[in-house]
Amino acid sequence: MNGEIRVTVRFEKGATIIDLAGDVTTFAEEAIHKAYQDASSDGARNIIFNFREGDYINSAGIAILIGIVTEARKRDQRLLMTGLSSHFQKIFRMVGLTQYADLYPTLEDALASLDVEYQGNETG
Amino acid sequence: MIPPHTSRVVELKIPSELGYERVAREAAATVARRLGFSPERIEELKTAVDEACSNAIRHGGKSDARMKVIVVLTADETKLDILVKDPGIGDSPPSEVVAPDIQAQVEGRDPKGGLGLWLIRQMVDEAYFVEDEESGGSQFRMIIYRVTGEGTSALSDVSQSVVDEGTLPDEW
Repeated sequence: MNGEIRVTVRFEKGATIIDLAGDVTTFAEEAIHKAYQDASSDGARNIIFNFREGDYINSAGIAILIGIVTEARKRDQRLLMTGLSSHFQKIFRMVGLTQYADLYPTLEDALASLDVEYQGNETG
Repeated sequence: MIPPHTSRVVELKIPSELGYERVAREAAATVARRLGFSPERIEELKTAVDEACSNAIRHGGKSDARMKVIVVLTADETKLDILVKDPGIGDSPPSEVVAPDIQAQVEGRDPKGGLGLWLIRQMVDEAYFVEDEESGGSQFRMIIYRVTGEGTSALSDVSQSVVDEGTLPDEW
């Protein structure tokens, strides 16, 4: 009954995207940490966790993400999260994860926000 | 005389092994869907049932698959009553539930996690442990109303639809 999750890392428009396909529960811990460590060792500054709407996230999964934001804070990385259903967006806000990670409805929205900031830095 | 179809009971017995909470979660969602719960209430129910069963498996059943966790779903026209029974071979239930301090967790002052019971309290209308002297195990009870606030008089006039007053759908 172990929940299976597929975690992949890719790069797009200057951001590191960690795609999560499957339930985010205690069984996902190793895969998520490995993906994050791989991304960080490659020098990622902006990391997008791209969830798949319809997948389930429980409190053990949220604890994994709290661990990630703890690491990201130490490394001065920016975390973005996309693809969450309205239910899990609400839970992330209730728990306080949104203090440490910006939520966007879609991956495109998150990439666009980084693009705008990048251009802003260029001109500023 | 008790009207027909006023309540129905679904009872599940799952192994005390993480992963099987998903079975209970989906069963509860199916029952709630048949009762006419809104998609938002069903998502809240799923989170509550998943967390309660995960707690029962990890703490009450010590993740020992030879042990069983029993989930009893009792539905009537306004609410779903969920009872989660575990063997009680592990930790005792906590005496209080505190809101998580995520800043303290991120700064390493608090251990990470410990969100389950708090989350349940945010999702359902009632949630509490019940003493089970007969079996010696632990019982956790949750009640979720079909419409938010249905259990309180102030919001009792919130419009209800899908299920006719007083009875469950015939296919139940």
